[in-house]
Amino acid sequence: MIRIKDGFVLRKVADNYLVVAVGGAVKDFNGIINLNETGAFLWEILAKGATEEETVKKLTEEYDVTEETAKADVAKFIEKLKSANLLK
Amino acid sequence: MRCKIADVTFGITPKYKYLAKICEGFIDSGENEPECVISVTQADIDGEKEKAQGAIFPEYYLEGLAAFRKICDYLLKNKDGILFHGSAVAVDNKAYIFAAPSGTGKSTHAALWKGLLKDKMTYINDDKPIIRVENGECFVYGTPWNGKHNLGSNVKVKLAAICEVRRGKENSIEKISAKEMLSVVFRQTLVPDALPEMDKYLKIIDTVFKNAELFRLYCNTEPQAAEVSYNAMVLRRK
Repeated sequence: MIRIKDGFVLRKVADNYLVVAVGGAVKDFNGIINLNETGAFLWEILAKGATEEETVKKLTEEYDVTEETAKADVAKFIEKLKSANLLK
Repeated sequence: MRCKIADVTFGITPKYKYLAKICEGFIDSGENEPECVISVTQADIDGEKEKAQGAIFPEYYLEGLAAFRKICDYLLKNKDGILFHGSAVAVDNKAYIFAAPSGTGKSTHAALWKGLLKDKMTYINDDKPIIRVENGECFVYGTPWNGKHNLGSNVKVKLAAICEVRRGKENSIEKISAKEMLSVVFRQTLVPDALPEMDKYLKIIDTVFKNAELFRLYCNTEPQAAEVSYNAMVLRRK
C-alpha cells in the first residue's frame, strides 16, 4: 500500500492545486508543491492510501486514458512523491 | 497603551521605550477597551532570538518583533489579516506592494517611485504592512513596524497590485499568474503551521489574488525603473 505522509494537505488557491505542510511536517518541508488536476486527483487517492493497481484503476475510471498511459502516469507520480520524501 | 492596528484595538504594555515609541502614531485615543491584550514575556523574546538565526538584535527590538508576531497571529485567527513583508505605497488612494527578499531592492524601488511621483505617493509601510480582507475586498494597513528608514503611516488603502521585484540589468515588467505569485507570497508572509490557521491563510491569499493585479519587475536602480513599473501598474490600468 502506498500512502502519503501525514501533515500534508491538498488545497485549491486561485484555481491552482497546491500541497502545503502543517503541524509536525512543517519542520521537514517548508514551501508549496504545485499539482495539476490529475496530480490532485492522484494525491487524494494516495492520501487515503492505495496500491499502485488500485490507483491506476481509479485513474482510468475517472479520465479518458488507456491503461498503459495511466500506469505510466501513476508510476511517474509515485516516483516523484518518493523522491520528495512524501510517502510513508 | 492602546493602539489601533489594522482597525483592531490592542492593549500593549511595552517593557522597552522602543516599542512605545514606534507605536506612538497608532495610539487609539477612543474609549474602546482593547479587543486583544498583547503581553510579551522573556520567553517570547528568547523565542525571537532563536528565530533570528544567528543575527544579533537588541532585546528592545526583539520585544517589538514578539509583540508584532502576536498581533499578526490575532489578526490571522480573528480578522482575516496577514502580514506581508514588502514595501507598500499609495497612489491616488490605491495600494501597490513591492515584494522581494530582503536586500533585493524593494525599498530602493519604492524610493524611486517617490522620486518620480513626489507628493502624489505616500508610504503605507516600507517593510511590514498588513493586508486584511473585508467583505471580499483587500485593504493594506500601515503598522508601527515600518522598516529601517521609518517610512510609513497609519492609513488604510485598498489593494490594487502586488509586484515581485527582481534585479535586472534592464528594466522590464510583466504580468504573472497567481501560480507564479504563490511562491513569492509564501516567502514574504508568516505561513502558519497549524491547519485551521493554514486554511484561513490560504483563503486570504485566494481573495488577494482575486483583488490584485500581479506583476514581476526586473529592474536596476536608475530612475527609469520607476517609470517602467509605474506605467504598467498605475497608468495602464486606468
